[in-house]
Amino acid sequence: MEENRDKGPEIVGFACSYCTFKASEMAGSLRMKYPEGIRVIQVPCSSRVDPAFVIKAILEGADGVFVAGCHPGDCHFIKGNFFTRRKIAALKEMFKAFSMDGRLKLFWVSAAEARRFVDKVTTMYKELKEERDAGKKN
Amino acid sequence: MQGKRIDREKLEGALKGFLKEPGQLIFGFGRKGGLVTHRMYRDDLHGFSMFNPYFSINGATLFRRVFSKDVKVLLMLRPCEIRSIVELIKLNQIEPEGITTLSIDCPGTVSLGAERDGLPDDPFEAKDYMVEHRDGMRWACTVCRERRGVVGDLGIRMAGDKSLWAFPYTEKGKAFLATIEVPEEEFKGGFLLGEDKKDAEPFATDMGTFSSELSRCILCKNCRDMCPICYCIDCLFNGDEYLPKGDALLNKIIRKGTDDLPEGRELFHMVRLYHVSQTCVGCGACEEACPQKIPLTKYFKGISERLQGMFSYMSGRDVKEIIPYLTFKEDELKDAED
Ligand code: SF4
Ligand code: SF4
Repeated sequence: MEENRDKGPEIVGFACSYCTFKASEMAGSLRMKYPEGIRVIQVPCSSRVDPAFVIKAILEGADGVFVAGCHPGDCHFIKGNFFTRRKIAALKEMFKAFSMDGRLKLFWVSAAEARRFVDKVTTMYKELKEERDAGKKN
Repeated sequence: MQGKRIDREKLEGALKGFLKEPGQLIFGFGRKGGLVTHRMYRDDLHGFSMFNPYFSINGATLFRRVFSKDVKVLLMLRPCEIRSIVELIKLNQIEPEGITTLSIDCPGTVSLGAERDGLPDDPFEAKDYMVEHRDGMRWACTVCRERRGVVGDLGIRMAGDKSLWAFPYTEKGKAFLATIEVPEEEFKGGFLLGEDKKDAEPFATDMGTFSSELSRCILCKNCRDMCPICYCIDCLFNGDEYLPKGDALLNKIIRKGTDDLPEGRELFHMVRLYHVSQTCVGCGACEEACPQKIPLTKYFKGISERLQGMFSYMSGRDVKEIIPYLTFKEDELKDAED
């Protein structure tokens, strides 16, 4: 078990195996860089993500979680990601009620969008890092 | 609105008529010692109570997983119980074919823990009692979202002039109403119980407050077990597999450089908060069941109303309304996308 006190934020990402997960692999093979603290978990569809997974990740130490799937209309299973959007939107609303907004993101990234994947996760990482650094100062 | 002006005798006459048919039952309330409890009636209405001023458990908890199509059951319960039944029907946990649901105006209830025997089981008398003893009412009832008998197949309502009325809301309701031997007439007066006003501000809290309120939680999971709509046989929290322990426990402490234990209680309650967010009726059965007297209703009601509001949904209002997580619109919720 490595210590992570001084490293950057840790982000757990749930990525659909038909699109975002492919994009993350492509980003790797194109040698694009994204921050180290991002751990991607492959799921068969973004709608497989029970919000319980997200809550568990956050409460057990992740600084942020993203759920990512194919753009609306492009779901491999036709309509999975529409359900994802409803569920994650509601979960975000719940996080907002707990004053924890910003720790959960919903991305649409197709298999061809390696650049978009890197941009999205890097931006999220930076935001969380800034927040964390600001918190340390106070 | 068309309805029937009834009284206890007329209603009991119709209920007795219902029981005369073979294979027909009534699930309602009855006196037991100084208390009133849930009761199933088969042959006669001995000890029948129209209303139950004591909230012990939500009657829907007893009634879920009723799949029989041959038995006909008339359910005469409080609005929050009928709303739970409606949600369970949507979730395929109750077969609706044989059941008729009747909701009765509810002036509020007291906790069984209040140890007050001999409260009235007549809705008007119960109403007077609750007005006089408002501080004895369960918190859930003081903020109830729907205490009117306006849900299910038919409703029994208290009019302002102290007359009792029955109104049908569906074909099944009409069929039962037809067996009450009084003519239908137009209702013109006002009701004793009005519509409840909505909270202006959406519920909000923070993890610090939530954690400290939960610090007395012993994770007995009674709250889940007594929740009428928490029905999964394979709950994530059966056993302790999903709770942080062992390596997961050390992991957070070592990796994050914190000495806060991972929040198992918060995890259990937040997952449940989310899972019941569209179906929670805010009845407060969880809080009744809690040996530690944790103010759970505040969170469950607050979060569920906020999340139901996103979809203009209200749990248990109408059996034809689809639970929001089970449907979608193609063009919606753009601001949830990052
Ligand atoms: S929550 Fe509402 S319907 Fe249920 S017992 Fe209380 S007042 Fe009655
Ligand atoms: S009933 Fe009370 S003590 Fe038991 S798990 Fe629920 S909140 Fe915790």
